[in-house]
Amino acid sequence: MSLSGKGKAASAALAVALLTGACGGSAASDDDAPYDPDAPVTLTVGLFGTFGFQEAGLYDEYMDLHPNVTIKETSVEKSADYYRALQTRLAAGSGLEDVQGIEIGFVSDIVQNHADAFADFGQAENADEVRETFYDWKYEQAMTEDGRVVGLGTDAGPQAMCFRRDLFEAAGLPTDREELGELWSDWEGYLDVGRRYQDSPTKPAGSAFVDSPASVFSAAVYQGELAYNDEDGNPAPESSDGVENAWEHASEAAAEDLTAGLSQFGDEWNSAFANGAFATIACPAWMLGYITSQVGEDGAGKWDIAPLPGQGGNWGGSWLGVPESSDDKEAAMALVEWLTAPEQQIKMFTREAHFPSSSEAAEDPEVADATSEYFSGAPIGQIFGESAENIRRTPIGRYDTQIQEAFTTALTNVATQGVSPDEAFEDAMASVEQVTGG
Amino acid sequence: MATLTLPGRSAPTEPPRAPVRRRRGRGGKSASAGPVAYTLLTLSALVSIFPLYWTLVAGSHTNAEIAATPPPFLPDASLFENMGRALEEAPIGLAILNSVIVAGSITVGTVLFCTLAGFAFAKLRFRGRGLLLALVVGTMMVPTQLAVIPLFMMIAELQWVNHLQAVILPTLVSAFGVFFMRQYLVSALPDELLEAGRVDGASTFRVFRSIVLPAARPAMAVLAMLTFLTAWNEFFWPIIALTNSNPTVQVALAGLGSGYVPQRSVIMAGTLLGTVPVLVVFAVLGKQIVGGIMQGAVKG
Amino acid sequence: MTIASSGPREALIAAPVVAPPTTTPPARRRTRLTRNRWGYAYVAPFFLVFGCFSLFPFLYTAWVSLHETSLSNIDGGTWVGLENYRNLLQSEFFWNAARNTLTIGILATVPQLCMALGLAHLLNYKLRHRTFFRTVMLMPYATSIAAATLVFAQIFGRDYGLINAVLEGVGLERIDWEGGTWTSQLAIATIVTWRWTGYNALIYLAAMQSIPGELYEAAEMDGASRWRQFLHVTIPALRPTILFTVIVSTIGAVQLFGEPLLFSGNGTTNGGTSNQYQTLGLLMYQQGWSNFHIGQAAATAWAMFLIILVIVGAAAVVGRLRARADR
Repeated sequence: MSLSGKGKAASAALAVALLTGACGGSAASDDDAPYDPDAPVTLTVGLFGTFGFQEAGLYDEYMDLHPNVTIKETSVEKSADYYRALQTRLAAGSGLEDVQGIEIGFVSDIVQNHADAFADFGQAENADEVRETFYDWKYEQAMTEDGRVVGLGTDAGPQAMCFRRDLFEAAGLPTDREELGELWSDWEGYLDVGRRYQDSPTKPAGSAFVDSPASVFSAAVYQGELAYNDEDGNPAPESSDGVENAWEHASEAAAEDLTAGLSQFGDEWNSAFANGAFATIACPAWMLGYITSQVGEDGAGKWDIAPLPGQGGNWGGSWLGVPESSDDKEAAMALVEWLTAPEQQIKMFTREAHFPSSSEAAEDPEVADATSEYFSGAPIGQIFGESAENIRRTPIGRYDTQIQEAFTTALTNVATQGVSPDEAFEDAMASVEQVTGG
Repeated sequence: MATLTLPGRSAPTEPPRAPVRRRRGRGGKSASAGPVAYTLLTLSALVSIFPLYWTLVAGSHTNAEIAATPPPFLPDASLFENMGRALEEAPIGLAILNSVIVAGSITVGTVLFCTLAGFAFAKLRFRGRGLLLALVVGTMMVPTQLAVIPLFMMIAELQWVNHLQAVILPTLVSAFGVFFMRQYLVSALPDELLEAGRVDGASTFRVFRSIVLPAARPAMAVLAMLTFLTAWNEFFWPIIALTNSNPTVQVALAGLGSGYVPQRSVIMAGTLLGTVPVLVVFAVLGKQIVGGIMQGAVKG
Repeated sequence: MTIASSGPREALIAAPVVAPPTTTPPARRRTRLTRNRWGYAYVAPFFLVFGCFSLFPFLYTAWVSLHETSLSNIDGGTWVGLENYRNLLQSEFFWNAARNTLTIGILATVPQLCMALGLAHLLNYKLRHRTFFRTVMLMPYATSIAAATLVFAQIFGRDYGLINAVLEGVGLERIDWEGGTWTSQLAIATIVTWRWTGYNALIYLAAMQSIPGELYEAAEMDGASRWRQFLHVTIPALRPTILFTVIVSTIGAVQLFGEPLLFSGNGTTNGGTSNQYQTLGLLMYQQGWSNFHIGQAAATAWAMFLIILVIVGAAAVVGRLRARADR
């Protein structure tokens, strides 16, 4: 449909609006006055439910520092809902907030397809200094090939392996986190511990070793040279060492019934936490809050944290970007830079338990020496810090979330429907083709 | 859950053994209900209410408590605490006001425009009538999800994003409503009545006001109620067109929860808050709405 | 389009046939009403809003379906003609979704309408607390899909669901409701049935109430039992209304989307691990909003439109033939 068609429809719509007495919206003024850092300004921040700046009091702090700034946050709980709205707004080229949250699941879509719609943090005067404070992989994931930086990192999701001390003890397994870390220095070792758990006559009835095959797959896949994409960020799961390795171990776990066969984030999965239905789960730093909330206070001291099999890995994390269409781009960029600076990332960790994506913040004693009482005194700062250090910079792509879903659902079928791993792999590849094919 | 399948027994294959011999008032329909009918109706009522009740229970417990086996079956005092948190985290008061405005305008608009159009399609002859009606019925069949992109482009061009008219206007009329009113009026409005009005020399619009509207009232009441409920629960489009700074109830509820942790109990408590206004409308106006429909239907 | 014709017998909705059918002198009506230009004035407000906010987006969707384009680039994309439709017809996912839509549709619609009819019959008795019962029947419709589906997903849970707890309690095997094909479709059909039965019951009830009492009296004089009266008076009188609800439910069933989306509980769009309950509506949503292939999704939307057109057309033809046969 041509522009004129749209215009005609729009004016007809306007006529209807007048006809029915609805009032039109206020027209935006976008005159290009030079940036005045002290002029009163209202910044709108559009996020989904994973940030917690408001809760950590960072907006108030910023507004105290900059009395001319008013910050208004709008938040959507589910990132899928948020992303749908964001995409619609990007497609229509309007309706964006001054700051937009960008999750890892869609940062690569933004980088590949909408980079021009976002202000370039790489052009800032102190860009190099800022870059220094972040983990390399984090900074680079929001960077286009020609060096445009669409956003700055907020939190990261370095992974470890959470385990139930009480269930391990009942099954006669070691509960020392370092000993376990050595036992499962790789995924084969992890599965061996799983088999011991499975065969134990004293383990609590009905409990499984790991929540889901996805726990193994999603953690292991990013430990390869490649995960779901080739070097250029195009989907190529069929030729990825990460996928091959992750599939091998995850399908083994599923076929041998080491898993509880749950779908992650489903209702049953949520309930399974409180019912002690599984003994381990691969846990990004943010999962600790999830576990605490699902298990409740009774779970204090039952859970513990050991290093992730293989090496470090990342799951989740976000960025903040500033749309070019923002009326107060400079002010918004200043806010983003402040919110993602090491000092604030430390506060986000101590107040909201979001692990820093800034290496400088992660090395700060407040973070590095942190322990968690709920998780049996585990040195979370150290464990997750080491995991973050070891994260590989695998190329990410716009379909990572969907491709991962294709694999993990196929694995669920291995675990619960008795589908053979080979057949499941074919199903997964068919789904992947459906996802990526035009 | 076995209870959920019970209403199946109320299917006509197994007619209730109501007292057959009792004298009936007008025709068969005013016979009094027997114990079987009451039992079936009570069961259906329980099944109808259960999910709402469960929302109440889940909204008054923590995630862990709700997940326990067996789950709790009674609401708890922490409901108010959870509601308080929901109110704190989302502008639910504003959302309810907005939803009343939105659902109210949509209801008024839909009922008015659809009655007008339904009447014309049912009783007036004009060129292209069949084609236009076919168009209306045809679009009822197109899935709405995809209209969202072109719609948003228009809304964006009109600078309506985050304004209530962005969610009011696109749903201000419904093809279903026109079809519904048209089908009702075709047979509920005898042509003689119309002719009589015209012979009296009344203008078309007076005929509409004094003859058509009264005859259409029962169907209008049904349409109004259904439209209001649909508009109140509409979610897909509002969450794109609005944000939490000017939300409807469903948009505000979608904004609940922070951090990586879903606060199911707070969301449930919030859901309850968002449903309460609808329930109040039901409780206060239930007799008028439902009763009115039925009485009107008898007269019509 | 048959639905546009206007004999009282073909009227599809609530106000049932007034028997004996009102016959109007056609000649007179023609002269009076045939060229009534007021008709345009009456439909104008509707079509103005409708044209801008419904028709235009739908036509735009048709245009999009002829392109290979993504969500990010909705205005651009490459012209591919009917390629998206060809791909669709060759896609196992499309046929799987079509099958699921059909089976879930039947599972949800048939019992739902039968129950609604029975419920309406019950509500039509002289009842104490009549308003209470009628109001309560609409509660499910007043509950948001999200809240309802969340509750039902818990009820149908594999490890902690209520039903399975009961099954286990009486010594039966647990059922993986969501994992199985038939079981998951049954569960989703239950949610749909739960939400819409009361709604349809009220529509039936309204129609039942305007069946003239004399018809029943006459039937009773002929010695017809209550059951026969129901079969031979109530049902025929309700036929237009029934046809209407069948059409509306069919449209609803083909577009079914929210329940299967939310049933998984974790927001995935694949409709189960083996797509066992992915409907056409959900497939379209997945193509467009999850996989960004807007052109493909638009083609699916129009395929759905054509499917409904065929079904509704068939229903209308059947309805007309039956009505004619009765005459």
